[in-house]
Amino acid sequence: MDLAQTIAPFVRASNHVFKQLLDLNINKGQAEPEGDNFVSQGFTVMVGLTGGWQGWFFLDMSQDTAIKLAGLMTGEAYDNVDNEEVLLAGAEIANIISGNALTDINNLNSGVSIRLTPPSVFAGEGMSMFNVKLNAYSVLLQTDAGNIKINVVMKEAK
Amino acid sequence: MKGLRKDGRAIRVMAVDDSPVTRKMIKKALVPEGFEIVGEAGNGRDAVELCEKIDPDIITMDVTMPIMDGLEAALIIKQKNPRQKIIMLSAMSDQNIVEEAMSRGINHFCSKPFTAGDMVAKIMQVISE
Repeated sequence: MDLAQTIAPFVRASNHVFKQLLDLNINKGQAEPEGDNFVSQGFTVMVGLTGGWQGWFFLDMSQDTAIKLAGLMTGEAYDNVDNEEVLLAGAEIANIISGNALTDINNLNSGVSIRLTPPSVFAGEGMSMFNVKLNAYSVLLQTDAGNIKINVVMKEAK
Repeated sequence: MKGLRKDGRAIRVMAVDDSPVTRKMIKKALVPEGFEIVGEAGNGRDAVELCEKIDPDIITMDVTMPIMDGLEAALIIKQKNPRQKIIMLSAMSDQNIVEEAMSRGINHFCSKPFTAGDMVAKIMQVISE
């Protein structure tokens, strides 16, 4: 399993979901090196992946971007990331992106049958996540709502 | 108004999804078209109980939910009422999930993300069958 094999379906799914759900175009997708720990921009959704391959999908953005995405999703105005609907919207966006990506991966890789676990949302300034073995690269998606970083960690289950 | 029957009665929809935001989006898609949201549930177990009480014309059912998932709930509801119309909503629609649903008599899927038009069209298709 190489990097392209794991992250490319998530980039394709992000393009589709942002356009279809939020009418938001990704202007540029850029791979960037990731260190040993993952430093949040302020709002991170983590989705667990289980089954034949196991790991995590991270969707990370600033709190301002999270508020904008929630507004685009529901058509309502929010001013605070602590609003429950902002947290739920972020979780649902990550859930749909990862679900769409796993549909592609499962259909292309007979028998892996990867499934999702419910998303966890973390909001706060200066958060770092340790003890998570991350892919060497994240992909930074530049949108009109701000920069959104995705990262996928997967390994074959033993 | 696509959500009205020929007799002028609103098509009665039960929305089942663990995300309140998604349930809100379903309401926003359907209510302006005349559909009536007669009940909501956030997991499969509540959906099974609520369905017996309110007898909706159609159910939109998320697949991945806590406590009881949508496929299991749909199977129980179909066993009690084989004529109950159900549309599965899911961000995942790989071959295994579709086959598992079809083996339980669930033949209708609407993939997330969906537009309001997608949702209305799918409901009208299933209601007319």
